[in-house]
Amino acid sequence: MKKKTSKEKANAVGVAEDVEMVENLVATKQEKKKDKLSKKKKRKGKEKNASAGTVAKLVDENDEVHVQEKFRKDRKKKSKGQLVKKSKAAQEDEVYEIPSGDEDCSKGMKKWLTDYHQCRPGLKVLQQRIDEFITAYEEKLEQERREKEARLTEGGWVLVEHHKGRKKTTDSESGTTIGSVSQAAVEDKLAKKKSKEVSDFYRFQKREAQRNELLTLQSKFEQDKKRIQQMRAARKFRPY
Amino acid sequence: METETCIPSMSIDFKVQELLKEVRLQCSPALTKLVDDTVSAIKSAVDQIPEHLQVTADWAPGFVRDVGADKAEFKFKKPTSIEIGGSYSIGCVAKPDVNVDLLLRLPKECFHEKDYLNYRYHAKRCLYLCVIKKYLKSSSSIQKVEWSTLQNEARKPVLVVYPAANLDEVPGLFIRIIPTATSLFDPSKLNEKRNNVRALNTGDVPQPTPIYNCSILEDMYLEENSKFVMNFFSGWKELGEALILLKVWARLRSSIYVHDCLNGFLISIIVSYLVAKNKINRDMMPMGIFRATLKFIETHPLWKHRLYFPTIDQNTSSKGNEQLNSSTRFNLVFRISGVAYPELQDEVASTLKCLEKCRDGGFEEIFATKIDNAAKYDYCFRLNLKGNRDVYSLGFCLDDECWRVYEQDVHNLLNQGLNDRAKFIRVIWRNTYSDFNVENGLSALNNEPLFVGILVSSVEKAFRVVDIGPNAEKKDEALMFRKFWGEKAELRRFQDGKIAESTVWESEQGSRHLILKRIVEFLLERHLSLSKKDIVSVVDQLDFSLLHDGKDLVSHSGKLLRTFEELSKRLRSIEDVPLKISSVQPLDSAFRYTSVFPPEPHPVANKKVDVARLHNLTPFCVQSLEVMIQLEGSGNWPMDDVLIERTKSVFLLKICESLQDNWGMTCTASEKDVDVLMDGYAFRLRMLHERGLSLVNKEIGRDQMKRVSAADKMLFVRSQHASMVNGLQFRYPIFGLVVRLAKRWLASHLFSACLAEEAAELLVAYLFLKPLPFDVPCSRITGFLRFLRLLAEHDWTFSPLIVDINGDLSQNDEKEIDDNFMQSRKAYKENTQIESKAMFLATAYDKSSEAWTRCSPNPLELKRLVAYARSSANLLTKIILQNQTDPHGWECLFRTPLNLYDAVILLHGDRLPYPKRLLFTSELDQGGHVAHGSASSSFHPFLLPADMKGSLEQLKTKLMVNFDPLRCFVGDVEAKFSNRLKLWYDSLGGDAIGLTWERSKKREREEEEADGKHAVDLLRNVGELGKGFVRDVYLVKAPRLSI
Repeated sequence: MKKKTSKEKANAVGVAEDVEMVENLVATKQEKKKDKLSKKKKRKGKEKNASAGTVAKLVDENDEVHVQEKFRKDRKKKSKGQLVKKSKAAQEDEVYEIPSGDEDCSKGMKKWLTDYHQCRPGLKVLQQRIDEFITAYEEKLEQERREKEARLTEGGWVLVEHHKGRKKTTDSESGTTIGSVSQAAVEDKLAKKKSKEVSDFYRFQKREAQRNELLTLQSKFEQDKKRIQQMRAARKFRPY
Repeated sequence: METETCIPSMSIDFKVQELLKEVRLQCSPALTKLVDDTVSAIKSAVDQIPEHLQVTADWAPGFVRDVGADKAEFKFKKPTSIEIGGSYSIGCVAKPDVNVDLLLRLPKECFHEKDYLNYRYHAKRCLYLCVIKKYLKSSSSIQKVEWSTLQNEARKPVLVVYPAANLDEVPGLFIRIIPTATSLFDPSKLNEKRNNVRALNTGDVPQPTPIYNCSILEDMYLEENSKFVMNFFSGWKELGEALILLKVWARLRSSIYVHDCLNGFLISIIVSYLVAKNKINRDMMPMGIFRATLKFIETHPLWKHRLYFPTIDQNTSSKGNEQLNSSTRFNLVFRISGVAYPELQDEVASTLKCLEKCRDGGFEEIFATKIDNAAKYDYCFRLNLKGNRDVYSLGFCLDDECWRVYEQDVHNLLNQGLNDRAKFIRVIWRNTYSDFNVENGLSALNNEPLFVGILVSSVEKAFRVVDIGPNAEKKDEALMFRKFWGEKAELRRFQDGKIAESTVWESEQGSRHLILKRIVEFLLERHLSLSKKDIVSVVDQLDFSLLHDGKDLVSHSGKLLRTFEELSKRLRSIEDVPLKISSVQPLDSAFRYTSVFPPEPHPVANKKVDVARLHNLTPFCVQSLEVMIQLEGSGNWPMDDVLIERTKSVFLLKICESLQDNWGMTCTASEKDVDVLMDGYAFRLRMLHERGLSLVNKEIGRDQMKRVSAADKMLFVRSQHASMVNGLQFRYPIFGLVVRLAKRWLASHLFSACLAEEAAELLVAYLFLKPLPFDVPCSRITGFLRFLRLLAEHDWTFSPLIVDINGDLSQNDEKEIDDNFMQSRKAYKENTQIESKAMFLATAYDKSSEAWTRCSPNPLELKRLVAYARSSANLLTKIILQNQTDPHGWECLFRTPLNLYDAVILLHGDRLPYPKRLLFTSELDQGGHVAHGSASSSFHPFLLPADMKGSLEQLKTKLMVNFDPLRCFVGDVEAKFSNRLKLWYDSLGGDAIGLTWERSKKREREEEEADGKHAVDLLRNVGELGKGFVRDVYLVKAPRLSI
């Protein structure tokens, strides 16, 4: 889209950004019918516009519609220029007929319908399939493990594996027994624990913190400035 | 911590400076020259007028007749002085309305001592201008001269002069010639208790004419006030800046920047008054002065206490002041009416709130958000009074002008009729139009429609069906009530035994929003004898987009919720599954009233089906509704993600079996989804594995996050979202409707793939949670308009949108969100390939916008989205405010232009699962027709008679749950061509798909596409994928080759 616009920009008026172009096309669409009726009129208007000089000067709302009309005209013309070629090509080998595909299960509606029914074989069958899958999957995992073991023992080495040991009952982070204390209580405890720590004990830490704060402030200031520049570019400061 | 709080205020000062740079008119030499040249041209044109020219009423017979002046003749004399006044003279012109006020002092010789009587002054003033106008026209440096009025006051016309030369920096510059009447009359004759229009009397007792008197006094003191203002503003930069800020602020609020409230000159007078009263001193910054002025307006009831300049400043303007005693002082704010002031006060209060509470000191809300009538008022009406003679049956001008009197009448009428339903009622009638010509009289001033805006006090009150009037025993009041309401009044006995007069506005649940419209129409018809066709109300014009087969499906929601309750009861009571079900939660938007089309109960998806009673248009498909269940905890779950998902499936299948065995419910399942049919609905069961839940709460970024499978995380977030939004929906009854309109709009413009349903809900939620500078929207159209504006105007690149649904985000949370936001922006800047979160939506459950907008919309999609939203918002504003009764305008909001895509695929409308949801059948009249497809005969959206023949079980298996050919098609195309094409589609039932060429891999494709035919082939292949579904394929623009 962007590319197309840039070209148009050069060709047509050089006013609208591509956003602006999309803008109001919804609106102008409604005038389409009217447009058709008053094509002649519009052409006149267009000429007038052209003779009046740059369209950029026109700020008045009515004129803006004009600009768009003109703009759209140009668009149309442009796309037509391209389309002529295209439709010629299309005419040469005519409009391609897509068959309804009622016999062909590989594509289209028929395929989707068959897919739908095929993946619903009934609860029992499904259950069986899943069971099979799980067994196969577990076997595969086991197989992989065994292969790995075998590969390692091949070279005369014996794999000494760390035995996983008893089931984990304590949470690695908080050190509490799983399920023994409610989640809320744990979080509470953790929060308390943290608050006990003194953050800036040494003077140099304090100084560092202060400096950091200053730096962040500075960077924020820079950011603000940059942002305002960008906002200015986006005409954010024009409340009209 | 102190420095932290300093930052926002610093940044608003920053922005204010930028704003001032942009808005303040800089007096360049070229501009000064243009103005000076034009002024001297005007002066020399005036000099050419022959002295002692006899001026009679024939110069403007219409005007003299309509104001009712009894004499108007004088010999022309040159004006005593012509001077520049107003904002230009103090260097405080705020763009874009650049005009220069030229004060022209009328010569005393042309007036008699008693000309303040019976509109003689007004008539002569106008005739004087007529003479000037005639001579101005012949000047070569003047392009044209037009009539306008001073503050919409038709009896005080002014001349608008456009210079012939144009200056690029100030387009549309014009000069207003305003006559002044300095010391023409004795001010004591014009005090507010005197009658000066003899025609105004009741039974020979003359009535006082305060407004008429003020109208003359204003002209008499105009120059003096102007000088007074100039004195303060000269050489005080901050004061001027503050004035411009106030002007920008007021202009953005069209409900207070009108003829009966504020105007630029009035604001400068108020500011000067505050300076004179020492409320503003030289140490203050512009924003400080701005705030002080607002505080003053808020606390000092201008309209009641009035505003007089203090008499201390004798040394500044001493000449005319001796005559000023307390009874003749001129009320400076006489234009501010009693109706307008509370509204002004309310706006000021909300602005002050913005200053305190909003992000970045409220700059966006105060100086960058347009609060026009369309977005502010919940209900808008336009009364077409063109050619209505009732308006001026008593004469155009007595004490006040007939249009102002009519405004007041309409206001009083509606105020009485709506009582506590409305918070504010605003009646505004702008009378001036572009080619207004005073010579023809004033009757054409009716041409513009009268605007009525109603701000609703609360949705409940606005939707109230019964209004209880006075008790039947109070005879007088009851009689008044009957007289007011006519046949609408009825005597009713209420539950508490009270017998009272009342009005009843019988109405269905879904159409309660029409009650207010009905009341307004009834009152206007009854009391002002307006016909329905002259009343344009903006209330229900968008409802069409939410109807399915002529009705709103939300009315079934009650049944849906009951069915869901029953289902969850059954699920929780299941015994024959190893683990018990501990909770059942709704996920689908239909459960929270925010689905555009919540499903209708399907007649076949029941336990018992009466096949004979199935109607012809029974849909073939059933929409499924997602429901999340949780099992009680267990330590035996596998650790592997794949295995967890499979185990879930096994559990779900077991649950299905149990439901089938115990309750005889029909279940259908695939490897991914398990659907249960019950009472006409299909519920799709999802399972949340509890192990993930405890981990998901913890901070993102820690290692443990990786252990939570994506599926569980998503489910958890969705359930959080569902419950929060559901709560919100109960707080704001209109919320659901606005969401539905928003979703429909998004889908209609083929944005279904860009913005998640939940994201749309959050955007609308934001409007309700952070309404400032507006009130909470209370009507669907206002809400929808604000949604479009939010989408179009929010600064997506630089600020996150924080949606604090339950109000539980602390300052630390907000800081965390800001940090997350900065991080994601930084990451994007460093590497544009990275997922960008172009739209950053943060909530309590998702502080880094991971859930809904992580991948889409991408920056390009967002750009398109914003452009569409802006265009639709402008169109909607235009339809609401301007006199246009064309229903197509409303439809256009949902009709998307197809020529903006590179290629378009049109689908067979009758192969969509719900053809009735299609708003418009799409057609394309441009582009190359590449392929045409015929419709498949194997799918039909409705059950055919042949389908109904089999047994019930067969029929049930034929029913397709959640089958959507569009989704299948899109999936197939994306799987194959996602690197070349991007699809834009409407998942709510549109029949068009837009295609745009993907540009990312342009280089690689270059050789392939040397032949333009390639695009055609590609499109044909795409069409092939949708055999039986695709109707037509059009190529609008071939992919461009790099030059």
